[in-house]
Amino acid sequence: MVAQLLDVVSTAAILYAVAAGLLLVFGVMKIINFAHGALLTVGSYAAVVAGQYGLNPWLALPVAAAVGALLGIVIEYFVVRPLYARPLDAILATWGLGIVIGQLLTISFGRGVHFSEPPLRGVVDILAVDYSRYRLALIGVAVVIGVGISALLSRTRLGLDTRAVIMNEDLARGIGINSGRVRFITFAVGSSLAAAAGMLITPLSSVDPNMGTPWLVNAFMLVLVSGSSLVSLAIACVVLGGAQVLVSSYVSPILGGLTIAVLAAIILRVRPQGFAHA
Amino acid sequence: MLEPPGSEAMLSGSALQQTRGRLLPVLAVLLTCLAVVGIAPYLLDTYSVNVLTRSLLYACVALTVDMLWGYMGILTFGQSAFFAAGAYSAGLFFTHSGFGPGTALAALAMGILAAIAMAVIVGWLAFWHGVSELYASVITLVLPIVCTQLLYSGGAFTGSSSGLSGFESIDLSVEAWFWTAGTLLATLTAAAWVFVSSDAGQVLVAIRENEQRCQYLGLDTPRLKILLFVACAVVCAITGYVFACYSMVVSPELAGFVFGTELVIYTVLGGRATLIGPVLATIAVDYESAQLSGDYPFVWKLILGSVFVVVIVAFPRGLLPFVGDLLRRATAAWRGSPRASTADLPIIDVLDPAEAIGTSAGSGAALRLEGVAKHFGSLKVLDGITLTAGAGELVSLVGPNGAGKTTLMRCIADGLERSSGRIEVNGHDIGRSPPEFCVRLGVGRKFQTANVFNTLTVAECLRIARARLDRPSVFSRSRLIRLPPAAYRTLVATGLDQKLDSPAGILSHGLKQALELTMVLALEARVILLDEPTAGLTKEERAVIGSILKDLVKVDGLCVLLVEHDLDFVRQISSRVVVLHQGKILLDGSVDEVVESHLVKSIYSGAGHQAGPT
Repeated sequence: MVAQLLDVVSTAAILYAVAAGLLLVFGVMKIINFAHGALLTVGSYAAVVAGQYGLNPWLALPVAAAVGALLGIVIEYFVVRPLYARPLDAILATWGLGIVIGQLLTISFGRGVHFSEPPLRGVVDILAVDYSRYRLALIGVAVVIGVGISALLSRTRLGLDTRAVIMNEDLARGIGINSGRVRFITFAVGSSLAAAAGMLITPLSSVDPNMGTPWLVNAFMLVLVSGSSLVSLAIACVVLGGAQVLVSSYVSPILGGLTIAVLAAIILRVRPQGFAHA
Repeated sequence: MLEPPGSEAMLSGSALQQTRGRLLPVLAVLLTCLAVVGIAPYLLDTYSVNVLTRSLLYACVALTVDMLWGYMGILTFGQSAFFAAGAYSAGLFFTHSGFGPGTALAALAMGILAAIAMAVIVGWLAFWHGVSELYASVITLVLPIVCTQLLYSGGAFTGSSSGLSGFESIDLSVEAWFWTAGTLLATLTAAAWVFVSSDAGQVLVAIRENEQRCQYLGLDTPRLKILLFVACAVVCAITGYVFACYSMVVSPELAGFVFGTELVIYTVLGGRATLIGPVLATIAVDYESAQLSGDYPFVWKLILGSVFVVVIVAFPRGLLPFVGDLLRRATAAWRGSPRASTADLPIIDVLDPAEAIGTSAGSGAALRLEGVAKHFGSLKVLDGITLTAGAGELVSLVGPNGAGKTTLMRCIADGLERSSGRIEVNGHDIGRSPPEFCVRLGVGRKFQTANVFNTLTVAECLRIARARLDRPSVFSRSRLIRLPPAAYRTLVATGLDQKLDSPAGILSHGLKQALELTMVLALEARVILLDEPTAGLTKEERAVIGSILKDLVKVDGLCVLLVEHDLDFVRQISSRVVVLHQGKILLDGSVDEVVESHLVKSIYSGAGHQAGPT
């Protein structure tokens, strides 16, 4: 029971870390970045490479984040910006980029599976249950990500500009906010978060060029049921992630993999605003 | 639905000829393609014939992506699932029940039925009122993911990740399969071509352009979307069945969302809404993939992905229209200016009032509202509106901005809008019905800002407006547009009849307003809701609209509800004036009573001011 509860919370935390960057980009730019899965994979490979060079596993985190930010800058400038007026095309173009990134990874690292060293090993005893220290640490990381983005949005000038763009981009531009800059930074931060999340999940799953797709699909569905609110995203991650854990352990792991997508689709049909306020 | 009236026999005859003249080139192209398909196996090596068979079948599926996305605006990632439904039906039947004529037919039927069932479920989930485009695409994305996982979890029954193979199937030579696939593709493409260039095909484009206007023209757009979606699913299932019979292998990847997105990629590359583009792109890319992926598997996909991104960014219309433009520019110098043809000009036919079958007068008042209220949370926008208006009445709704006039119009035209109360049109309760049902009861709504189909011509806009009553043909494009007298008078009085061939998007503001009014009148509605139809018009245009409105009431006996700020205009044309203020009816009376009332003056100019209305 305790183990299951911890599973639910830590699964929600992982989903939150993976989806946060996607949500940020969706909220500000109103596009779904389909390269998110590929950027996540890049982050995972960054962790693998860092491990091969004998770096401290924790140091892989800033490396992955930096690589993600750099890629995000390039993608925003060359692909997303020209498609500003065509949001559905932007979705397709980022999907195409996902393919390109995936193939580049395949050419560089082969199709094989890689593993990386977890930054934390071993288990802790919680209420007579031995639980993975790393999964517990991820809960903390997810909280830091959530609080960090919220603080950025509510405490800084850039955050104020960003919230203005989220609410009404035309008006924001009218009063002199450089919305192009806000979009640029948002995309870089979102990509950076994607890659960082990719690094964080490596100890829990094997690394291969196509690993990003299932994560992308789940993150995408979570973002859609959350609108553009970080709080709704947290609720969605706990509810849907929890359902996934329960279905996986009591019904079948394969159906568990579908739980988030199917439930999100049904939730959106019944309540189009999802977990967000009306 | 309508029998063409006898007096139009001659016109119908010429319209029919038009059809034949239009179908002949399609038939010629189809026969040429079939001839190419017939000869090809003798010119190509067996390996290429084998690979091309698969490419031709994939192209059939890409065709459905173009129909749904290119023409109707539904971005679908899920066509692979319907393809797999047909393919797995064959694989499962032949593996578990053995091959025979009976099982072959049963498998085909089962595959089609499964695809229909899936399409109906997806359609129910994805197409409803007020749904966002993105959500529909999301559902089509979830479908292949669910299907793949179910196939994985099917154990020995579905063959799990390795799929099914080694089953016996229809015994045809490599060439015969090529001919089958080629004939299927050529026929489907020709049929799709005839369909999208017909009047019914125009409805698809209208839905893509402006779904809301379509609904307020009485078209049940969710139902039409589901219909096309189901039809496309059936095509995919049949193609998938042929694929399984020819390849004798089925695997979960067929249902996958990677294949689903590849089809979208081919459609983008070839050019959306061109039919031929996606077909050619699919054949070229899939054939090349088979040739190159042996030697350079990852590089090939890398190139494909890069080209896809470049095409989306730089050539959003796709490669075929781009090449087409180049060719046209090159040949323009030879051919000189394009010939101006009057043969295609639409013919307007005025309906006899007796033939106007839009809606019957029904019993009771044309429009009756009882205690209608609308609130957002605790904010009451409308409160206890009770109002009756009869045929032949022009009721003007006046009141300051924010009084609830437009909201009241919305509530009458869409049963889902109001919070409480009862609305009857021609004696029928509108209940909680969506806009297209209210149109059927006899409500026509003109929006505040001109709401037309910008890329369609004036004539095409009118034909869409008539689509509910004069069911459009799926084969041909008719030159004939039948309009009720009121719509025809408006068309002529505003000069739109001289612009039937102009795209609606380039019309002046006044003409756009006039076009929308004509479209609403073409619905043969009995209750016409007009939201500031004269806003932004010149004085002359305003006078024309004024006399049109008077005629609607006097000559056609319609019930017109008009929102208007110009009290002079209201005084000239109204038979009754209703004053709304803060969501309530303040005054309801004759023109003189209301316009001269001090109350109205004080409301319009704000409390504490003595000045009259402007």
